[in-house]
Amino acid sequence: MSQPVLKIRDLSVSYQTEAGPLQALRDVTFAVPAGKIIGIVGESGCGKSTLISTIIRLIAPNARIGKGSILFKGDDLLRMTSAEMRALRGDEISMVFQDPMTSLNPVRPIGRQMADVQHRDALSRREKNARSESMLGRVGIPDPAAQLTRYPHQLSGGMRQRVAIAMALMAEPSLLIADEPTTALDATLEVQIIHRLQELQRDFGCSILFISHHLGVIAELCDEVVVMYAGEVVESGPMRDVFLEPRHPYTRKLLECDPARIAEPTRDLPVIEGSLPNLVQLPDGCIFRERCPKTIERCGLQRPRLAGDGHQASCHLLDTAE
Amino acid sequence: MNTLLAIRDLHVRYPLKTGLSALAGNRPSFVDVVHGVSLDINRGETVAIVGESGSGKTTLAMAVCGLAPVFRGEVRFDGRQLERERNNRLNPDRKRVALMFQDPVGSLSPRMTVRKILAEPFRIHRTGSSSPEQEARRLLSLVGLSEDFGDRYPHQLSGGQARRVGVARALALEPDLLIADEPTAGLDVSIQGEVLNLMSRLQQQMGLGIMIITHNLNVVRHIADRMAIMYLGRFVEQGDAQKIFSRPRHPYTEALLSANPSTDPDAGSGRIELSGEVPSLLRRPAGCEFNTRCPRAGDRCRVSFPGLAGDFGDQAYHCHFPLD
Ligand SMILES: Nc1ncnc2c1ncn2[C@@H]1O[C@H](COP(=O)(O)OP(=O)(O)OP(=O)(O)O)[C@@H](O)[C@H]1O
Ligand SMILES: Nc1ncnc2c1ncn2[C@@H]1O[C@H](COP(=O)(O)OP(=O)(O)OP(=O)(O)O)[C@@H](O)[C@H]1O
Ligand code: SF4
Ligand SMILES: [Mg+2]
Ligand SMILES: [Mg+2]
Repeated sequence: MSQPVLKIRDLSVSYQTEAGPLQALRDVTFAVPAGKIIGIVGESGCGKSTLISTIIRLIAPNARIGKGSILFKGDDLLRMTSAEMRALRGDEISMVFQDPMTSLNPVRPIGRQMADVQHRDALSRREKNARSESMLGRVGIPDPAAQLTRYPHQLSGGMRQRVAIAMALMAEPSLLIADEPTTALDATLEVQIIHRLQELQRDFGCSILFISHHLGVIAELCDEVVVMYAGEVVESGPMRDVFLEPRHPYTRKLLECDPARIAEPTRDLPVIEGSLPNLVQLPDGCIFRERCPKTIERCGLQRPRLAGDGHQASCHLLDTAE
Repeated sequence: MNTLLAIRDLHVRYPLKTGLSALAGNRPSFVDVVHGVSLDINRGETVAIVGESGSGKTTLAMAVCGLAPVFRGEVRFDGRQLERERNNRLNPDRKRVALMFQDPVGSLSPRMTVRKILAEPFRIHRTGSSSPEQEARRLLSLVGLSEDFGDRYPHQLSGGQARRVGVARALALEPDLLIADEPTAGLDVSIQGEVLNLMSRLQQQMGLGIMIITHNLNVVRHIADRMAIMYLGRFVEQGDAQKIFSRPRHPYTEALLSANPSTDPDAGSGRIELSGEVPSLLRRPAGCEFNTRCPRAGDRCRVSFPGLAGDFGDQAYHCHFPLD
């Protein structure tokens, strides 16, 4: 297998709060192989956005990176200077944020902003606009030429998301990181964006790290899946293995809650009882224990480790089964 | 009569700046984002609005809430016609009509803590027997957030947590009508289930009418009594949700429903791919507005606009060559 583009090892990040450090990520380990599309799923608040803001080092002022390493093509991003990181973003690594307004300037027309991201290319203004137009067309924006003169507030939520995606694609990065980029898109456009991303991946051999709560999108787009819960990776592996034979109780529960899998319409949708543990005062043992339907005594005493080959999960039940 | 909201022939028109580039392209000086929409929402009923991104769903919601200009048409709330105020904005009773915005973080004021945000409506409207702070605490637990979230600022929340604060704020004053723009975008399926179950529960308790705008067709299938499918500022089809899911009549509805990505890695797609030019609001196609992409379009579709067929209360659509 080829060298992974991104290799994250034992990464821990916390936020300083009045109650004490909130441990948002603990010992996160996974890799993004070259030319693959990796999906991250997990409970809201489990640390997905924290993870990617740490990778690209656009972290909140109260965030503290503890230990660990983030190797990008062999170099540790955590050791790079801010200037080096800035150069890397927008060139080798592009980002689509969860909130498209993070990457859009509200008082600058779309066309200007799209020209700005092409600053490294020796093209005339007209050529840059032509490229922007064609990219907007590819993400399904009608009448792209007219949109270049408009401001972000004049676009719908889904149009803003597509502009942000178009801008990220224009850089032709070797790693694209997208945080829920399709929440405001209808199903037909969502599929179209999935195809664009797959094209990008094929044409430029780039790797994609894709966060989404839409399990159908993950199933359609991704080669591998990483499942997170309360700041830890609880399962990872090839998409089919994880979706068809989930090993961690959280993954199983998550899949059971997917309304797409429930044939009869119901107003009483399944949920995972309980809530995320307090990340300031972490419980002992397994992080999922309080909500897990299958606990054994060890679960309260000892933290399970990710184990397995290719398809990994961190659950004590897996040791006992073997 | 239990019609809570009645929208008739609503149009929302925005002026366009006529810059030089615009003049060169011979563009019109306005754009009709909502183009003749009619819809009823009854007490205790959930109506889902789905459709193409950019088709005018948010604008429709904003117009009903007095946040977008109404150019033509009328809106009745609880039998009373909403007057048009300055700037052509409608003026609904803000205690009775609650809007949940599509953008969760942007709609929460950045300088207020979550507790302040949730207590605010009670301060302004002075309702409730307990103190605003107590109410804020009650609302937090209602959406499954622990009390310490009260001290956080919006930027210290994850996307889904901010969305839940938005839900809590919208439900604060126990409105009669809730207009929820993508209320579950960015939520994991478990919390999405919690939020939707909560909305259903309140609906049963208080007879709440719900207009939900969403791209998530799985959600629509479970919770909507009726649905409307929007394309380029109009409803191309509307009616009983189960009927539309089992037998769509408009070709756009069929394509949209067929596109829903499936979680089963082995599911065959059976997807209807739309090709052809995506039309622009600035140049509405003549005839049926879907004709540039419609797999069934014939000559008639390019010249005459198809009138409403079917039964408005049951399942109605605009199409010359509907599906069987
Ligand atoms: N600046 C901050 N200060 C304190 N806590 C924070 C801050 N930012 C995030 N958090 C907390 O850290 C945890 C992880 O947040 P993060 O935004 O990474 O979650 P997420 O997985 O992206 O969730 P979502 O799916 O809802 O977007 C959450 O519990 C959140 O409340
Ligand atoms: N203030 C404005 N001025 C001019 N045009 C606007 C304005 N606000 C919205 N529009 C246009 O109106 C159209 C519909 O926008 P709207 O936000 O209602 O769409 P939507 O159906 O909610 O889409 P999405 O699903 O992407 O959120 C878009 O083409 C948008 O560019
Ligand atoms: S009227 Fe014609 S173009 Fe429009 S949806 Fe029906 S068949 Fe297609
Ligand atoms: Mg997030
Ligand atoms: Mg919208």
